[in-house]
Amino acid sequence: MSENGAAPKQLADPLVGERSAFREIRFFVIVAAIVAAHVYGWYITRIDLVGLVTGLPNMQHIVAGLVQPDLVERVVETAAADVPFGLGCADRAPRTASPKLGDATAELEVSPGCGQPGDAVTVTGRGFPAGRDGQLFLVDPSGLSRRGPTFAVGPDGSFQQLFQAPDGSGAYTIRIQTQAPTGAWRPSETLSLSLSKILETLFLALMGTTASVLVTLPLSFLGARNIMHGSAVADAVYYGTRTVFNVLRSVEVMIIAVIMVVVVGIGPFAGVLAIVIHSIGALGKLYSEAIESIDPGPIEAITATGASRIQVIAYAVVPQVVPAFLSFTFYRWDINVRMSTVIGLVGGGGIGYILIQYINLLQWNQAATAIWLITIVVMALDFSSAYLRRKLI
Amino acid sequence: MLRIEHLTKIYPNGTKALDDVSLTVPDGEFLVIVGLSGSGKSTLLRSINRLIEPTSGKIFLDGIDVTAASPQQLRRIRLEIGMIFQQFNLVRRQSVLTNVLSGRLGYVATTPSLLRRFPAADLERARHNLSRVGILDKAQQRADTLSGGQQQRVAIARALMQEPKLMLADEPVASLDPATSHSVMRYLEEINREDGITVIANLHFLSLARRYATRVVALKAGRIVFDGPPTEIDETRFRAIYGEDAVEVEIR
Repeated sequence: MSENGAAPKQLADPLVGERSAFREIRFFVIVAAIVAAHVYGWYITRIDLVGLVTGLPNMQHIVAGLVQPDLVERVVETAAADVPFGLGCADRAPRTASPKLGDATAELEVSPGCGQPGDAVTVTGRGFPAGRDGQLFLVDPSGLSRRGPTFAVGPDGSFQQLFQAPDGSGAYTIRIQTQAPTGAWRPSETLSLSLSKILETLFLALMGTTASVLVTLPLSFLGARNIMHGSAVADAVYYGTRTVFNVLRSVEVMIIAVIMVVVVGIGPFAGVLAIVIHSIGALGKLYSEAIESIDPGPIEAITATGASRIQVIAYAVVPQVVPAFLSFTFYRWDINVRMSTVIGLVGGGGIGYILIQYINLLQWNQAATAIWLITIVVMALDFSSAYLRRKLI
Repeated sequence: MLRIEHLTKIYPNGTKALDDVSLTVPDGEFLVIVGLSGSGKSTLLRSINRLIEPTSGKIFLDGIDVTAASPQQLRRIRLEIGMIFQQFNLVRRQSVLTNVLSGRLGYVATTPSLLRRFPAADLERARHNLSRVGILDKAQQRADTLSGGQQQRVAIARALMQEPKLMLADEPVASLDPATSHSVMRYLEEINREDGITVIANLHFLSLARRYATRVVALKAGRIVFDGPPTEIDETRFRAIYGEDAVEVEIR
C-alpha cells in the first residue's frame, strides 16, 4: 500500500485507532450513567444499612427456632380432676371433691367455694402424681373451658395454686389437668405434617412437570424454525407458537397460582395448574431451541431416502433431541419443586401452605421444621438433577 | 438414464450456483464431478433428488420429470436415488443397524416404522448390506463409536437399502484420510460394476477422479467447462478448471 502515491502522509496508528478522544468521553459518560442509576436505586429502594444492623436482634426468635426445629416429641400422659366452683353467690365455704385419678383417689379443695369476680381463689390438691406439670382450666356453665395458670405438682403429690375469679356468674367447674411425657420419643405432629406436605410438594411438581412435558412435546416442534419453514402457514404457526411460549413464560408461577386458586379453589390442584401453565412456556422455548440446534445432516440424509416428513422427524430429529429434552425436563422438575415449596403461600398447596401459617402464628420452631425440610429436599433434588444431566450429555 | 436440461439455480442471496447446466448420464456410468469449492458441484447433486429446488430447468430420471414431481411422486423417485455425504450424516446416537434400516423408510408403512419395527426381509437386507461393506460385527454399536471410514461405509449400506438405480456421493471422502478414501471409493466402484448402479460423485481431487471415473465433468462458476474421459484432462485443461495458480496434488 505504501507504493500507492495517494496514500496519506500521516497514517493512523492501528494499535491506537482513531477518534480516541471521543471514545474516552463516551466511556466516562457510560460510567457516570451507571453510577447515577445506582445512586438513584439506593434512594428508591430505601437501602438502610443502619436499620439492617439495629434490626438484626429482631431475628432472634427465628434463629432460635431454626436451631431448634420441632422434630420429635414424647407420648404425653394426661389426667384430669374436677371440683365445682360458684361465681356470684354468697356461700363462701370451701368446696371439695375426691376425684379418681387412675387407681388412686385425689383430693381437691377450692376456697372460697363461691366467689365474686376479681376474688383471689385458692385451689389445693393432694394425691396427684408427683412432679408433673399441672394446668388449671375454668369451665363455665355452658361447658366452655378457659385456660388458667400452670404449676408443678410437688414431690409429695400436693399443690396449691391461686387464680383470679373472672367476670360472670353461675355454676363453674375447676378442672385440674396433669400431664407428663412418658414412653418413647416419636416424630412430632409438626414433623409428620411437614413430611406429608413435602411429599405433596414433590408430587405437585411431578404432576405439573409431566403434564407440561406432554403438552410441550408436540408444540415444541411447531416452535422450531428448522421444522416450520417454507410456507406462510408454517411461518404463522411458528410465530404463533413462539408467542404463546413467551407469554406463558413471562407470567410468574405465583401470579398464575393466585388466578388458579380463584378458578379451582385453594389446594394443590391450583398449584399443579400454575406450574403446568408456566412450564409450558419455559420448556417450550428450551425444547424448540434444542430442536433448532440439531445437526441438519441426518435430516437431509433421511429425507433423501424417500422417507415421509413424520419419519424424518422420528428418525433424524427425535434421536438428536432426546438427551437435551431429558436434561431440560429434569432441570425443570428441579425448578418446579422449588416453585412448589412457595406456591402454598398463595394457597396453591404443598408445604408452603403450612409454612406461612406457622410464620403467621409466630410458631418459629414449627416453621423451622418446614424450612429445614424444604432445604434438604431442594438440595437433594438439585444434586440429583445435576447428576442426571451430567450423565445424559 | 439421467437427463439434466438447462438447469439453473439462483440462491435467495443472488448467488448463481448453477448456470444453464445440461448433462446426460447413461446407466452404469461412474461420473465424477470436479471443480473448486463453490463451483456448484453440491448444488448440482442436491438438485437431482431435489434436496435443493432448482430455479429453472428440468431433470428426467428414466423419462420421469423429477422437477415436476408432486411431494408423493418425489418420495417415490427418491427411493431410486441413494445418497452419501461428506459428513456421513448418520444419526450419531443410534445404532449402526438402526441407521442402516432407516434407508428402508420409504418402503415401509409409517406406523410400524415409527415404532422401530421393520419386516424380517429388511433385517435380512440390512445384514447383507452390512456384511457387504465389512461392518456386520458393528451392527449393535452406536454410530458415533465408529471411525470416519466405517461411518461412511454404514452410509453406503444405508443407501443400498433403497436398492437404488443411482447413487449420489457428495464429497464422500473429503473428511477421510487417503488410505480410507480409497477403501470407500472401492466400495462405490464395486456397487457400480457389480450392481450396475450409476454413480455420480463430487470429488476435490483429480487423482481420485482419474482412478475411479469412467467420465469426468468439470464445473467452474456453475458452468460445465469439461466433459470427457479422465484421460483427456491434461495440464491445460486442469488450469482451465482450477485456475492459473493451481498445482495438482496426488492422492495415492
